[in-house]
Amino acid sequence: MAFINLKSKIIQVKIVYYGPGRGGKTTNLEYIYRKFHQRIKSEMVTVKTHGDRTLFFDFLPFDIGVINGYQIKIQLYTVPGQVKYNATRRLVLRGVDGIVFVADAMAVRREKNIQALKNLQENLASYKKNLHTIPWVIQYNKMDLVEQGIPILDVDLLEHDLNRELKRPSFPASAVKGTNVVATLKKIISLTVASIRKELL
Amino acid sequence: MADSSKSDPLSTALDNRLDELFREDEPTPAAPAAAKAKTSPLDELKKIVLSIDWEITPEALDSFMDQVRLLKEVYRDDKVILVFLQVLGSLGQYIKSSRSKVHPSTFNVLNSVFARLDEIVSAPKMPLAIRRKLLQAEMDAYQGLRAKITQRRTAEPAAKPAAATDTAARTQASAGETVTPEMLSRAVAELKEFIRTEMNALRQLVKPAARRD
Repeated sequence: MAFINLKSKIIQVKIVYYGPGRGGKTTNLEYIYRKFHQRIKSEMVTVKTHGDRTLFFDFLPFDIGVINGYQIKIQLYTVPGQVKYNATRRLVLRGVDGIVFVADAMAVRREKNIQALKNLQENLASYKKNLHTIPWVIQYNKMDLVEQGIPILDVDLLEHDLNRELKRPSFPASAVKGTNVVATLKKIISLTVASIRKELL
Repeated sequence: MADSSKSDPLSTALDNRLDELFREDEPTPAAPAAAKAKTSPLDELKKIVLSIDWEITPEALDSFMDQVRLLKEVYRDDKVILVFLQVLGSLGQYIKSSRSKVHPSTFNVLNSVFARLDEIVSAPKMPLAIRRKLLQAEMDAYQGLRAKITQRRTAEPAAKPAAATDTAARTQASAGETVTPEMLSRAVAELKEFIRTEMNALRQLVKPAARRD
């Protein structure tokens, strides 16, 4: 559940970018930051583990202003994709309100996508949440690699693997080029705020 | 889910605000690295270095080594760049062979060496003296890392003989603690002598007091 301060009328929304390692979660946030940092007036924070090379998580907070009397603050997080950092992923998921699942469209990553989605379900279950109730969208990233002759999974196949049951909004994208990065972000914010509002009423 | 609420005033206000905030009518400021990468032969190597920084996979390390080999061919006439590439190759080989046991400073050195190499490649007019100075700084860092790795490797096997010596010393101490009849009689003699001395001292103290009474 989002942090809501009824007295000061502030709603804090936590959105987590989840997915397999090297799938483009950080690239999504970097694009948003690079393109809009002057408008959102925010800094992107990248946290590394102490004395180690490993990226712990990325964090990009920003305000979207007052909507219907409530000031809405968005916090974007990424999780480390590596399998061994599950405890960190679970920790970042604490209090999550909305999720962007960034799948890697490269053909060689098919199995990793499925594993990562399963891992997301397991970790959400530890907070008594599930993919049937939480707002989430899917982004099929790295679609641009097809131009370089790299084998890419067909969107229908990705939908079949990851979205055939729940049929969430999905976006073929290229985080490097910025294709559908903003569409994905707008959609998850809309869905999440609507869901929070629904819970409040 | 939320699509059903699309027409309500809050959703409309939110969507309008998001459209305003995230309108994409301006060109995306290119990331400095991306702009440079367009003409940089290190473009591919850079991607791999970043991906290794995120996750060490056999594929990434193989690609890394392949790129280093390729660049060695490209820069075979540039001695400074060649040394940089040799250092990167050695670091890649070490990461590949050690994987989870890699010294944590390795990635700092790897990133630093790559950054300096990138700097040199991006500035073809850089004076040789500065190129050499940059190379020397990275070589020092690399040698420092090698020393740390060697130190760690020698410390590990050394820990075992040290433990063995310690055990031997303890065994010796235990042997020393074994009480023989000879040692026992010597100890009893010492104790008797101690008691005798003490008794004599007491007698000396008691005698004058008895006379006063």
